[in-house]
Amino acid sequence: MSTFNIEFIVKDLMNAFPNKILDYKLDGARSVFVSIDASILHDVIRYLKDRYDLKHITTISGTDLGDSIELIYNLSPLNRRILVNVKVKVSRDNPHIPSVVSLLPGAVLYEREVHDLLGVVFDGHPSLERLILPDDWPEGVYPLRKDYKVEVK
Amino acid sequence: MDLAFTLIRIFIFPGLLFLSILAFLFEWIDRKAYARFQNRIGPLYAGPSGILQPIADFIKLMGKEDITPRYVDALIFNNAPIFAVAIPFLASLYLPLDGSPILSSFEGDIVLLLTLMTLYTIIAFIAGWASTNRFSTVGAARAVLQFLAYEIPMFISVASVAVYVGSTSLTYISMNQPVPMILLQPIGFIVFVISMQAELERIPFDIPEAESEIVAGWLTEYCGPKLAFLRFAEDLKLVFCSGLATALFLAGGSGPILPPLIWFVLKMIFVVLLSSYIRSLFARFRIDQMVSGCWKYLIPLSILQLILTRFVGVGLRWL
Amino acid sequence: MSLYQVPIGPQHPAIKEGFQYNFILDGEVIVDVKLRLGFMHRGIEKGMELRTWTQGIFLSERICGICNVPHTTCYCLAVEKLYGIDVPERAKYLRIIINELNRIHSHLLWIGVLGMELGFHTLFMYVWRDRERVMDLVEMISGNRVTPSMNCIGGVVYDITPEMIPIIRRNLDYLEERTKYYKSVLEEDPSIRARTVDVGVLSTDKALDLCAVGPTARASNVKSDVRFDDPYTFYDMIDFNLITYDTCDVWGRAMVRVDETLECINVIRQALDKMRPGPINVKVKRIPPVGEVTARVEAPRGELFYYVKSDGKETPYRVKIRTPTLANLPSLCEMLKGYYIADIPAIVASIDPCYCCTERVIFIDPNKGKKWTWSYDELRNYSRKYYGVGV
Repeated sequence: MSTFNIEFIVKDLMNAFPNKILDYKLDGARSVFVSIDASILHDVIRYLKDRYDLKHITTISGTDLGDSIELIYNLSPLNRRILVNVKVKVSRDNPHIPSVVSLLPGAVLYEREVHDLLGVVFDGHPSLERLILPDDWPEGVYPLRKDYKVEVK
Repeated sequence: MDLAFTLIRIFIFPGLLFLSILAFLFEWIDRKAYARFQNRIGPLYAGPSGILQPIADFIKLMGKEDITPRYVDALIFNNAPIFAVAIPFLASLYLPLDGSPILSSFEGDIVLLLTLMTLYTIIAFIAGWASTNRFSTVGAARAVLQFLAYEIPMFISVASVAVYVGSTSLTYISMNQPVPMILLQPIGFIVFVISMQAELERIPFDIPEAESEIVAGWLTEYCGPKLAFLRFAEDLKLVFCSGLATALFLAGGSGPILPPLIWFVLKMIFVVLLSSYIRSLFARFRIDQMVSGCWKYLIPLSILQLILTRFVGVGLRWL
Repeated sequence: MSLYQVPIGPQHPAIKEGFQYNFILDGEVIVDVKLRLGFMHRGIEKGMELRTWTQGIFLSERICGICNVPHTTCYCLAVEKLYGIDVPERAKYLRIIINELNRIHSHLLWIGVLGMELGFHTLFMYVWRDRERVMDLVEMISGNRVTPSMNCIGGVVYDITPEMIPIIRRNLDYLEERTKYYKSVLEEDPSIRARTVDVGVLSTDKALDLCAVGPTARASNVKSDVRFDDPYTFYDMIDFNLITYDTCDVWGRAMVRVDETLECINVIRQALDKMRPGPINVKVKRIPPVGEVTARVEAPRGELFYYVKSDGKETPYRVKIRTPTLANLPSLCEMLKGYYIADIPAIVASIDPCYCCTERVIFIDPNKGKKWTWSYDELRNYSRKYYGVGV
């Protein structure tokens, strides 16, 4: 079916959001990384959800790239045949990004996890509390950031 | 001399000491049978074939630290285990183990025994309530709720037997069964055994102590010697209830060749094995299922048994 | 009666790992659930950034005791994708066999745990005895009962010799017979049915919205299984069924798992038939090229996802792991509302939680205000001081 052709979806996205799709890269036959501007994250996800039924979010991966934090939203349709990985970058000093929980209710715990471990603030999240770290973990220290040093013997 | 004899009968044989030994023996039988039904071995090392395991557990618990949490109601919390042990002991003294009970028998002693069982449930409730622990509270509430469900069918099935035999003295009933009641009143027996399972808080009715849901129910806060006593009380209840079942339905100590005491104990062991078998067959029921099941099925069955007894059984006896 | 709160966890006989659910109850009915994780967090994702690519396999294996094989498989698939290599054919079949053995082991364990939670100790004892057969098979192949450590980057490490094959087949026949018996038990036993039918219902819409995965979703009639949707190794060459049930309750989840066990046995048999002699791994360079990849595998609990990013160094730049239990937790909170306390163990067990997988404890010394991980010696000394044994 043509809608499950990855190239087709990416081309369609590029038509729908001209100049905002920064890059795309295929990852195997059934997966693609699409880098977009953070401002259109919500619109892109809504577009993919409405048009291609990409309602299942596998996870939100956060990576500290040194100068920014990259978030990857992994979306797949109901039959999970393909994976569209939407990448956005947020700045390290002011890591705010709108929450996608209103569109994808299943993302609620993933956003909490990224917030806990990387310090990204998801505006509009219903309950952005600690998920994994202990209660007395100091504020402002995010273990998955590259500047967090671990003593290894 | 008479006094000494009575005291020996009460405290040693077949009194408290003998009952305690029976309690530990029955716990061993129960654990071994349960294990074998589940394709495993059960207690093995303490004594020959693990027979000393219940005593070992008791001694071990007695040696543990006795903690009274700060916010419990100390008077009730500390004394509940003593009552819990005393009640089945007292009740068992009315069982006609060797033909005549240790304390005297009188008309209406069945009512006394059933009242003592009621009292036990109340002790369980206030013990759980006094523990002021969330799990204990839930367990205590469940114990009382369960009690509302099983007590009535139990009473009615006992009443059916009493109506048939024409007496409310346990000794009289157990001595006057030319044909054991289990054959004459099978429905009553089944109802009694199911209610007994609920009374003893064993699977499928161990809801007040449900381990996987509320830790240990009303027993949660107890540890050390108090827990040893409570577990001993459970074993004593097993002795008492199986004794009651034997006296009511299995013709007590009557049987050829062997002395009545041996027959009585053998029949009690049969009831214990039956209870272990039921225990291994089922999952635990939910409290609402249990209560509704009792009211929908057990109570009508027991009433049916009573009606059959009153109109058919008594009539048959006069034929 | 006013609402009150009952904590289940972090220590509780019903749960095998540390987590905390705070239940808000109205009598015996659950009104709301608050979840608190973190008791088993071991910082594995960070740990992977500090260890070499090969050490990463062993670290990923230790994320979870029960589903360790999918973890290593997924990690190796991801890294092999980075290298751009394809493993030999025999290695692919061996991976299928060991993955399916692990799935059988996990599902049998789960049936026993369900029995435990329902108070049905007999079922637990029977099933765990049969599970020993699976562990014996795994031990025969790899030397370890639970963590076979079979995967390596480039293929597998242990092979199945021709002598092993009749033993495997014999044990599979036995397991099939026993699993069919357990299936009949679950279908017919009235006390199990009373506790699991119409308990913990998760409607299909909710399952899709909350992105449930694995048997939890499949029991709500969601047709998704990574082995079908995104086949890895040779699953597309093997003929087996996608099991779904539409009852949406705990019973449905139990039946999905039992039927899947029967399918696994089928899959292993086909893999054994189709396997041809050949090499079982290829050599790879020490450091993979720069890139980022995703990989998905069907663990016994659902879709397991790895995202691996390499920047050409000895250690990965980022490894992100998303385990199926985390995906099922929002659905769990939804499933619990409106049921009784007595249903809690059954419902929680029905998603087959594996909290070790979900998080990955870091010590803090509040007095010194420092955050550091303790070495083994430090921990030992601390515990000796605490218990007054003497340093």
